[in-house]
Amino acid sequence: MARRYDSRTTIFSPEGRLYQVEYAMEAISHAGTVIGILSKDGIVLAAERQATSNLLEQSIGSEKIYEMNDNVVAGVAGLTADANILINQSRVIAQRYLQRFDSPIPVEHLVRRLCDLKQGYTQFGGLRPFGVSFLCAGWDPTFGFQLYQSDPAGNYSSWKAACIGENYSNAQSILKQEYKDDDSSDAGSNSSNVGSAGTRMTMDDALKLTCVVLSKTIDTAKLTSEKLEFATITLKDDKPYIHIYSSEEIDEVLKKYDSVMKPSED
Amino acid sequence: MDSITLKVPHTTERPAEITNYGPTTHISQPSVTGTSVVAFKYKDGIIMATDCLASYGSMARFRNETRMISVGNNTLVGMSGDTGDFQHMKHTLENLLTHEYDMDDGQNMGTRSIYKYISNIMYGRRSKIDPLWNSYVVAGVENGESFLGFVDYYGTTYQSPTIATGFGAYLAQPILRKYVEGHEDELTEEEAVRILDDCMRVLYYRDGRSFNKLRRAKVTAEGVEISEPYPLDTNWTIANYVVGYGS
Repeated sequence: MARRYDSRTTIFSPEGRLYQVEYAMEAISHAGTVIGILSKDGIVLAAERQATSNLLEQSIGSEKIYEMNDNVVAGVAGLTADANILINQSRVIAQRYLQRFDSPIPVEHLVRRLCDLKQGYTQFGGLRPFGVSFLCAGWDPTFGFQLYQSDPAGNYSSWKAACIGENYSNAQSILKQEYKDDDSSDAGSNSSNVGSAGTRMTMDDALKLTCVVLSKTIDTAKLTSEKLEFATITLKDDKPYIHIYSSEEIDEVLKKYDSVMKPSED
Repeated sequence: MDSITLKVPHTTERPAEITNYGPTTHISQPSVTGTSVVAFKYKDGIIMATDCLASYGSMARFRNETRMISVGNNTLVGMSGDTGDFQHMKHTLENLLTHEYDMDDGQNMGTRSIYKYISNIMYGRRSKIDPLWNSYVVAGVENGESFLGFVDYYGTTYQSPTIATGFGAYLAQPILRKYVEGHEDELTEEEAVRILDDCMRVLYYRDGRSFNKLRRAKVTAEGVEISEPYPLDTNWTIANYVVGYGS
């Protein structure tokens, strides 16, 4: 029955659904997991690489995590080729903003522009939607550290911890349980800790939680740096600092939190 | 190939509306103009002054003009040059701020961003040989730091603790260099006003397109304040000694 209404993006089904958009999201749920966790002092992004082979030259280029700007780093889940187009577009948008206003683009602004682009492909033009979801981690002076999730429909929302890709619901429920939220009543009035108000997580907590979630959602017996991409965004000298981890650095992190990671059932 | 056509890079092609036989759509001279802007940094921020005159050539035509505007919460822009082009810039800046207001995202346009925005417009227009015939002085306080910048109709930009446009560049700037440069951070508001009034007085004496009714404005961390118009005390006794005066 759905078959009749799913061949074009620009029509609704009788139940009011856009099947192409939903199918795009289905594609993403088979892609490598990306996790993002917000802490008081920064954001951790970790991703599972799906293309692994001895022959792959993995030290050059990334598959999952990309810098969009000096103050925004994003993890992608879905069709990598589609993602590359959107990454490039966001980079141009960010640079254009910098050229016009001599100021780094506010994180939400960049996410919104990206999402408006994605939404366009669900409403006109007759082209299929982008099969990509993003987790954008960034910092700006107004709101501090922010983590945004966006989907092929062009929806975006801000999260303290989020997950996209394979096993995301599993990961999301672990995050919900383990994330140390700030449950004090005046979390909203915290003006000195702009944006990071509302969380008691430190970077260390975030890294540890990331490893826990990764170990539970990724299907391999042992996590190695070969299968992972890792990045953090923090502040250095009051300026945003993005660090994309090398494989040695990933190994160090995995070793440090080895004790909290349970190997999958033997 | 039937004919050989010269392929011109797209940047030098003019739009179809502007051709060799249509009207000239770029100005070669300004019409209603404002004279100098004088501005400098002091302890609390930046102080700026402009007179209230918009001249029509040598005629003192509009004597209650304001050649400074506040943009957003904490930026002050002063202009010298063509009034019509200034009004165009005013509208453009207003549109920018309206757009920001519409976005409603909690972000504010800082002084540096407004300065960059204006600079891009000015340079873009000069590159089309259709300039906005103005010099702008952009002042603001962002994150506790004072910002003072200049843009002209060539798109030339620079920042300095003291800035003066038009005649002010010749007559006021040397005064500012002597009394302000080096100790901007120690000047109190009274001292700054005194220096500013002295500059404007010299300009009134010697600039043939100036007027003894001026406004001053200050930008501090609290925002922009533009004063009411006021005249300066002047002393023309020396005129008696000028050969031919009064006779």
